[in-house]
Amino acid sequence: MTKPFWFRFLTNLRVLFGLTWLALVIIGAIAAPLIAPLDPFAISGQPFVRPFDGFLFGTDSLGRSVWSGLVHGARTTLLIAVIATLVAVAFGGLIGALAGFYGGRIDNVLMRVTEFFQTIPSFIFAILLVAVLAPSATSVVIAIATVSWPPIARIVRGEVMSLRSREFVQAAITLGEGDFEILFRQVLPNALSPLIVTGSLLVATAILTESALSFLGLGAPNFMSWGFMIGAGRSFLRDAWWLVAIPGIAILLTVLSINLVGEGLNDALNPRLRTP
Amino acid sequence: MRLVKSLALFAGLGLSAAALLAGPASAQKRGGTLVQITQPEPPSLGSYISTANPVGQVASKIYDGLLEYDFNLKPLPSLAESWVVSEDGKTVTFKLRSGVKFHDGKPFTSADVQFTFMEVLKKVHPRGINTFSEVTAVDTPDPQTVVFRLNRPAPYMMAALSGYESPILPKHVFSQGDIRTHQNANTPIGTGPFKFVEWRRGEFVRLDRNADYWKPGKPYLDRIVVRFIGDTGTRAAALEKGEAHVAGFGAVPYNDVKKLEKLPNIRIETKGYEMLSPVVELMFNTKKPPFDNAKVRQAISYAIDRKFVIDNIWFGFGKPTNGPISSNFAPTGLYTADVTNYNVPDGVERANKLLDEAGFPRKADGTRFEITHDITPYGEEWRRFGEYTQQALAKIGIKASLRYEDVATWLKRIYTDYDYDVSSNHLFNLADPVLGVHRAFHSRFIRPGTVFVNGVRWSNPRADELMDRATIEPDAKKRAELYAEVQKIVVAEAPLAWTHEISFATVLDKRYRDVIVSPLGLFSSFDSAWRE
Repeated sequence: MTKPFWFRFLTNLRVLFGLTWLALVIIGAIAAPLIAPLDPFAISGQPFVRPFDGFLFGTDSLGRSVWSGLVHGARTTLLIAVIATLVAVAFGGLIGALAGFYGGRIDNVLMRVTEFFQTIPSFIFAILLVAVLAPSATSVVIAIATVSWPPIARIVRGEVMSLRSREFVQAAITLGEGDFEILFRQVLPNALSPLIVTGSLLVATAILTESALSFLGLGAPNFMSWGFMIGAGRSFLRDAWWLVAIPGIAILLTVLSINLVGEGLNDALNPRLRTP
Repeated sequence: MRLVKSLALFAGLGLSAAALLAGPASAQKRGGTLVQITQPEPPSLGSYISTANPVGQVASKIYDGLLEYDFNLKPLPSLAESWVVSEDGKTVTFKLRSGVKFHDGKPFTSADVQFTFMEVLKKVHPRGINTFSEVTAVDTPDPQTVVFRLNRPAPYMMAALSGYESPILPKHVFSQGDIRTHQNANTPIGTGPFKFVEWRRGEFVRLDRNADYWKPGKPYLDRIVVRFIGDTGTRAAALEKGEAHVAGFGAVPYNDVKKLEKLPNIRIETKGYEMLSPVVELMFNTKKPPFDNAKVRQAISYAIDRKFVIDNIWFGFGKPTNGPISSNFAPTGLYTADVTNYNVPDGVERANKLLDEAGFPRKADGTRFEITHDITPYGEEWRRFGEYTQQALAKIGIKASLRYEDVATWLKRIYTDYDYDVSSNHLFNLADPVLGVHRAFHSRFIRPGTVFVNGVRWSNPRADELMDRATIEPDAKKRAELYAEVQKIVVAEAPLAWTHEISFATVLDKRYRDVIVSPLGLFSSFDSAWRE
């Protein structure tokens, strides 16, 4: 007897670790104003206060609380990463589905466009987009989504192509169902598991891209974020290690957790890895 | 004719002043290579056409000027041995040094001076166009004499004749072809103490000792290598290890300067920026409400805690101020501290009171109005200054959101489109207020498309008139009175809020002596620098 999906997923230790950390980060992000009442940009104390010396994680060069920055930064970082991923999945999924379902000339055109985007080095492209659009939350989302959708499109296209020739889809065609009905009710639901796995891993990439942009000073200027904290603290690495180390560890753990959870999802959803 | 300076008195003063400033005179030794770090790499070496900072740091070793300056900004002889300004201020006669040769062996004569000023600096030098606008002709009665003919007196011109600001070019080289795209821009030939040898892009510029230099025995160094190191940390490490010996202008971040200062082989020098004198200003769009109201502008000036800014953003390398003219001009009498003082302990209360009076009461959420603050896109300090300003404004009920753009977009927004509320910048005072200060608020400098001028679009007929009179006033005392009134008016009206003077710091290897011996610092020729 095959064990149920949830059981297989949740008994994986790595998944448990990932989920626990992610839950903490998400709770922190949601409850940010409660657990860190200080405005992350507010000058709330002396500059360069060491951790646990009145401030949980110390203060930065302007006397801003690092704890506040961390918690409010989680908000910005997660929100931007998740929205950007959703946009990328929606757009990439649509392009991939159309290309895979119709094939032929449509497929050809859409895939050439996708390849065009894939050939541009993604991070440099993101920098360029943010620089051209002027740094703001919207332009960071646009930039991350623009560089992340092509792999989604290719995966969805492959899935749709293989599903399209399956008997249940052929049956639906014979029954005279409309194209969109077949695509959305028959094909896409069956292509969901690779999409979920790729999408979840994409969130991790999006966090890294957002952090890298903020590190370079191209993040949303009115929102505290982890990458920004590292960028601002970098020049004080030798005197105030906590300015870089604390948000750095936060990024590391979060990206690691997402990858662990994503892998766990893959293990649990992939029929070939199922043990009877 | 009134004799201003004479040859006999000044011939040796340049040398002795340098020695005095360096402390007890010790025997200068010949030889050695000085490694200078310049950041970023200059786009060209044509200091006659580009005033970009790194260009000047390299080219000033190759080109001489007519004059040099001491730390009180008093002119000293250089290529000009002596000079006379006529009673009406409209004729300036220079006696040129004889026997001076360019690096290619050709003699230096009055024709070179005439060519440099009339054909190059007046036409293509970004500041020269303004500085020498009154010069109608340069006469050359003989090879050792030049006579500047002026339309109106221009006393400030005498402060702009250094090898950095007005490099003397060889006519026989630069008169061939178009000066704007001249091939010798990057293989410069001058009369200076060091000759250009090689520029390996991305790595270094090598300058070798000019054995035929006109100052006897000088320069002491065999070679200057100007290195370009992109990474901040590597620059600091190179200085720490003694692989590089001099760096300034923020090539090393202020907090690293503090750390390097503690090392036994490093010395920090804050002199050598007196002819530049950058003053940080908050800019208000004075044509746009609510910043058309002087009380709002004054309130913001009161709200800035200058001590906090200097201590925590510039790490102590600054001096609080209220007005546009740097205190470096105190020896010339042009600076006055007798202006409205915004740097007071109860600044926040005063600011709140002014905003109430101006008709912007606090609303239920505690804010008065919302603005956008454009952060100066010059790097970390400026970013933190922008973030600090946002917090300072929040304290007085002004909600500022930050906007951060690249330099080109920001410059266009501030100086062409005037599409902003508040921003910040720092303008160099340069060698004279006419050159560096008028541009920020004289209404003649409201010039859409020209950067680093009156981007606040403030205009005050009285201040304009005073500045116009000061421009042509040859008497130092009367000039000082005119500028005192200008400072009183602009500080009270606050079209800009001047917060502090930046003190740049030069990091020096202790083995190298007499490197910074002039108010132009890294922009001077290093002819007296020597290695122990």
